[in-house]
Amino acid sequence: MSGNSVALEVRSLTKVFGRGDGVRAVSDLSFRVEPGRVTGFLGPNGSGKTTTLRCLLGLVSPTSGETLVGGHPYRELHAPLHVVGAALEASGFHPGRTARGHLSVVAASAGISGSRVTEVLELVGLAADGHRKVGGYSLGMRQRLSLATALLGEPSVLILDEPANGLDPEGIAWLRNFLRSLAAEGRTVLVSSHVLSEVQLTVDDVVIIRKGQLVNYGALEDLSSGMAARVLVRSPELDRLRHALEAATASVAVDPTGALIVTGMNAPEIGALANAQHIELHQLHSQEHDLEAVFLELTSSEGGAA
Amino acid sequence: MNALRAEFRKILTTKLALWLLAFSIAFTALNVVLMVYLVPTSARLVNSGQLLQVPAYVNSIVASCANASVFVLIIGIIGMTGEYRHMTITATFLASPRRAPVMVAKAVAYAVIGAVFGIINFVVSLSLATITLSGKEHAAIVPSESLQTLSGVILGFAIYAILGVAVGSLIRNQVAALIIALVFVFLIQPLLSAFVDWTTAWLPGGALDAVMNLTYRQGEATSGLLSAWAGGLLLIGYAIVLGAIASITTLKRDIT
Repeated sequence: MSGNSVALEVRSLTKVFGRGDGVRAVSDLSFRVEPGRVTGFLGPNGSGKTTTLRCLLGLVSPTSGETLVGGHPYRELHAPLHVVGAALEASGFHPGRTARGHLSVVAASAGISGSRVTEVLELVGLAADGHRKVGGYSLGMRQRLSLATALLGEPSVLILDEPANGLDPEGIAWLRNFLRSLAAEGRTVLVSSHVLSEVQLTVDDVVIIRKGQLVNYGALEDLSSGMAARVLVRSPELDRLRHALEAATASVAVDPTGALIVTGMNAPEIGALANAQHIELHQLHSQEHDLEAVFLELTSSEGGAA
Repeated sequence: MNALRAEFRKILTTKLALWLLAFSIAFTALNVVLMVYLVPTSARLVNSGQLLQVPAYVNSIVASCANASVFVLIIGIIGMTGEYRHMTITATFLASPRRAPVMVAKAVAYAVIGAVFGIINFVVSLSLATITLSGKEHAAIVPSESLQTLSGVILGFAIYAILGVAVGSLIRNQVAALIIALVFVFLIQPLLSAFVDWTTAWLPGGALDAVMNLTYRQGEATSGLLSAWAGGLLLIGYAIVLGAIASITTLKRDIT
């Protein structure tokens, strides 16, 4: 196992496909992915995640800016599969090749032994199916084979594009523990997804992009605190409560069901205030940890960039 | 070196090469049988009955394995376009991000496979010609001529495989690349040869015939072929030009 810690860096990356005013897939994007942590790379479909990953891996040439793996462009790495393991999509297999055959081709291209092929097949739970043609594999099995391919060179960095697609809940739980253990060993793990909830329990950091631009970058726990916490309150004495809250400098809105949406005060403060003024409360619900709502707000087309 | 081993393993881990080898052998056998049994009885040709007494015709029977070159072209095309069709090109360039050595490894691997196809098909045509001609009155199979055919088949089939890879990296759509190559080999090239005489020698097919010493087609002597040396050099020229164009475009291409 290589214990080197290798960070990933994306610096002012811009990629325009086609000539002239082509499709602007990524626009002045910068972020860093640290070793020893699992980083979620999030954004809706078509937001430029895959293009960014392909630039990082030397498959796509940036229009401007650069991407670095441990300080070097991917194309300059001497033993790339021992530094970075990548699983970009489940479709990168010849259907007439067996899983073992596919892995042996990749192993040959990086000078990796045949015994390692057997090891990774066992690691991802495909040992019994290694002799079967990939054409007959389910989506989940292809995901496992992608992962096995990425792990062949025992890399310091693992880059997985939508790895949970096609996995059953058991597989997702297994993947989560596996990625956590890799990060715990000091490896760098970057996982892309278009749904936050899918990786919410796995990641330490998040990089969120929309239309090729960065909208949020940092630790997962900072994602919600950066946004104003919202508390939903129901009361039979709506007007009194509203005046009391506004007097305490909270901002208050009324939602279509007649509940108050309060920002600027947390639930205990609102409860204490209502108690002090003898206002009856029927519901007091803090929405501050609804990350998916935050994520949707950040990435929706009309949502503002943070 | 790792890239070369990977290319060989790619070819050997699918059944395509075996199937195409089987088809090529059957095709070569068909060519020999037609030239030994059918062409000499053709009523269309003057003096067809004497063909088996013409030394150049008999040597062309041995050299008729040249026609199996189309299967070598196909294996190159399918091998290269398959990388794009199944997106295995991603894994290929992840393992070897410097693309020029990958293209060289592919060319070398397919040249070797092409040469092996050539040798096997030569052995098939030589032995089948010997067997089917025995008992008939025929001009001798000249060993030195057959040796030239053997060197020609090795060079020619290696080049055809490289041309297949080059075509496949320029036209990445597998079906389109196959159709264009086959239309060229079976329609455009024969039509050009038939109506614009001087093109025969300069087309890849004519160059292959020259280097393989295949001087008879459809029972008639081909006129104006280059010498074997010139034909070989022309084939190498085709491979270098087409290979260079294919490599340059592949080096810059975004793999998405």
